[in-house]
Amino acid sequence: MPFKQVPQKFNAKINALTIGVGEKEITLGGENVFPFYTFDAPIENSPKIGVEISDLGAYTDVPGIAAYYAGSDTLPEIAKRASEMPGADFLAISLDGAHPDNGNRSVEDTAALVKSISDAVDIPLVIEGSRNIEKDAKLFEKIAEALQGKNVLFLSAREENYKSVSAAAAMAYGQKIGAESAVDINLAKQLNVLISQMGVKTESVAMNLGSAAAGYGFEYVATTFDRVKSAALAQNDNMLQMPIITPVSSEVWTVKESIVSEEDFPDWGPAEARGVSMEISTAAACLAAGSNAVILRHPESVATVSKLIADLM
Amino acid sequence: MGKFIIIGERIHCISPSINKAMQERDPEPILKRAREQIEAGATYLDVNIGPSEKGGEDLMKWAVTTIQQACDNVPLCLDTSNKKAIEAGISVYNRSKGKPIVNSADAGDRIENIDLAAANEAIVLALCSKAGISSDNDERMGYCQELLERGMGLGLEPEDIWFDPLFLVVKGMQDKQMEVLNFIKDLSDMGLNSTGGLSNISNMMPKHIRPIMDSAMVAMAMFCGLTSAIANPQDLRLMETIRSSDVIKSNTLYADSYLEI
Repeated sequence: MPFKQVPQKFNAKINALTIGVGEKEITLGGENVFPFYTFDAPIENSPKIGVEISDLGAYTDVPGIAAYYAGSDTLPEIAKRASEMPGADFLAISLDGAHPDNGNRSVEDTAALVKSISDAVDIPLVIEGSRNIEKDAKLFEKIAEALQGKNVLFLSAREENYKSVSAAAAMAYGQKIGAESAVDINLAKQLNVLISQMGVKTESVAMNLGSAAAGYGFEYVATTFDRVKSAALAQNDNMLQMPIITPVSSEVWTVKESIVSEEDFPDWGPAEARGVSMEISTAAACLAAGSNAVILRHPESVATVSKLIADLM
Repeated sequence: MGKFIIIGERIHCISPSINKAMQERDPEPILKRAREQIEAGATYLDVNIGPSEKGGEDLMKWAVTTIQQACDNVPLCLDTSNKKAIEAGISVYNRSKGKPIVNSADAGDRIENIDLAAANEAIVLALCSKAGISSDNDERMGYCQELLERGMGLGLEPEDIWFDPLFLVVKGMQDKQMEVLNFIKDLSDMGLNSTGGLSNISNMMPKHIRPIMDSAMVAMAMFCGLTSAIANPQDLRLMETIRSSDVIKSNTLYADSYLEI
């Protein structure tokens, strides 16, 4: 019997969220089909890749990353170099140096530093926090003010600080925010409800649903993404129609497979190749499950995932 | 499955203030009820203009445009026995938020409303009765098949025929309640959509009891597969029950604020 293709049509779509300004601005989401289901309907905005640097510099403990940034000494230079990485759509800055246990750089100094980065690059910015909830709320407010008009995305607003992040970043300065939950589908929806009840437009919100390195409970991540996309499209749930952005690199570059040395585990081969494999396979899995954007570090991962996206679109 | 669909029943010419507003073409009392029902969680709004044999076409056109323009093109259920008035309403209807619903066809005098819906790409409520109340589920199913075949023959999608088993009043027809529920289950097993005037069941009961009885019925009917109801969305207990049942059926993903959205 001949195969008869029946397109899976949905009367619902993922919100289109734009970050950045000018020629290099990007749009996440907007599709009305499952990830990469271009045979059902065209996907206007392909998934995007962010390159991650720290406010303490590039992640140079990996030789290939160090080599890529060789010669870039100041943070603005590093940021510019990152923004030029083939396949990079946006720049993600992790505010590691502002964490109270890691230098505790002041809110003012951090905002000035981020401003200097913003001045050096023309691609959109995603500001990842310091991973300290109280500090992040203060940092985001100051940075949102300093980067007014740049249309940046703040990762993330969490259950504990969504009020201040929503009020400061999104409402006062018109920036975009990501709602972060840790592989908890009900909390993901609840946070979106709470943020929208604050008065933030749903079109200004992305979701960071959490992640895990491949092999580290990733099946929970995949089923969570699946369930969210299917509620958004099949059930037209407007509290889950935000595009998904997933920080991958911070998960994969800390697991054993990526960091133990070849000397200690000769059978496993070179550490860097393993780390790159972890980053690529986790990113590919996230994209297949529904991420509209992934955040990566290694130039080889960025090039590979970028090609994967291009070939699948 | 999608969320349970509530067709708000409060724009009804049997209400003196609505009747007066319709006769005088005074938008405000009607829009007030429209907004209240939308706010409370109605998906569709029923617009009942009565038989309106005279001037029904103008009245329905006026009601459709007035409500849709003021309420972001909320989808409407056009409720009158005057077929020309329904057609007139559809002619000015904005479909951006959903197809119009024709309320209603049956297997008797009103069977041509199936044709009307098919000709106008509308949804139709199809009462599984002919003249009076069907005596048992075999009779209901016979009418259901008849209506379904007629609709499909005219190009209606089965999903656009919402079958109404006819909810029956408990006070007087208590022994028929499980039969109605079993019929809803039969419709659901056939993959068909269903609806009905839920509050029929609590007619003539004390006012404070009606929300309790209606809520129990909607939960049991949703378990059996009921997909929508014509009801009062401002009945808080009823709405809480529907939203909770939607969660239990996984029609919507749970979040702590599920009662507020």
